[in-house]
Amino acid sequence: MTPSARPFVRLDLADAHDRAWAELGQSGACFSGRQRVELAGTVVAALADPEPPPPWLGPSQLGRLPERCAAPEAAHDVIHRTACHAGTITESWYREKVDLVGELAWVELVAIACTVAAVQSFRRAVGLDPWQLPVGCDDPPTHEVAHPLAVAAMNWVPVAAPADVTASVVQAFTALPAEQDRTWRLAAAQYMSNEEMDDPRFTRGTLTRPEMELLAMRVAQRRDCFF
Amino acid sequence: MLRWSRHEHGESVDLDDLAACADDAGQRWSRELFDFATSSTGHDGAVLDRTRAALVARAGEAAMVDAAAVIANFEMMTRLADGTGARIPQDRVDASAGIVRAFGMADVPSRR
Repeated sequence: MTPSARPFVRLDLADAHDRAWAELGQSGACFSGRQRVELAGTVVAALADPEPPPPWLGPSQLGRLPERCAAPEAAHDVIHRTACHAGTITESWYREKVDLVGELAWVELVAIACTVAAVQSFRRAVGLDPWQLPVGCDDPPTHEVAHPLAVAAMNWVPVAAPADVTASVVQAFTALPAEQDRTWRLAAAQYMSNEEMDDPRFTRGTLTRPEMELLAMRVAQRRDCFF
Repeated sequence: MLRWSRHEHGESVDLDDLAACADDAGQRWSRELFDFATSSTGHDGAVLDRTRAALVARAGEAAMVDAAAVIANFEMMTRLADGTGARIPQDRVDASAGIVRAFGMADVPSRR
């Protein structure tokens, strides 16, 4: 797409993406900004790979990690599989890797993968160049975690108490408020807010709700996502 | 969700047609949207350029941008669901049996 053909991106959407991308470089609950950007780099590479390795092979086994990793190798393997093959993640693999990275770190890893996948996907789809990752800060992790946490019946990951009073996708990141906030800000700009989801006639004046759902279903099918 | 929102619009939907991407499943730009979603989730840039142009020609640039945003959202939400082991209540699974069958999703590993 030539510069003159750059599409107009509505401001709420552009702002949501700008802010989410910048937040990748800030410290999260479990990882420093530098670690988060390094991990986001693994997602970028995974998404760009037309022939990704099979799900059981992570970048640590393939020698595809940065020379001196700031983040644990197991964290790179988790985020790589989430980027490339999320639909193949099993509960037993989750339990195995959580022993290495920690439950809350797992939540942060999935949230980073989600943000990178959303922004990169959008920019590629509309014909814009991919963004460079921000510079990660060296501040230590914030340890900002919801309190108290609860074991959920509808998710593998721990969630903010009380568990299972909202949909499983809505409670999925509630253990880490910063990840929860960013994800649902993105969802409101890209799709619709939680409140608007109850309205089958919701539209921004372009696509109808059934047309939005057709797109959603096709993406879910392509990603082997039963949900 | 698709069946529900179309019902509320007073429209019918042939799920098998949708799954097969028939040219007219009762939506204005179903073919273009379906092809745009398919190419956006693939790696062939030339095909993506073509499907984007086709959607813009039929629906306009603003609709294409909004379609890309929805696609981006579900690139995010599919990973959120599968990365956190999110489950669907059984009554919703039962209610979606037709669409699950039509999209060939009954036996995917992510069914929990």
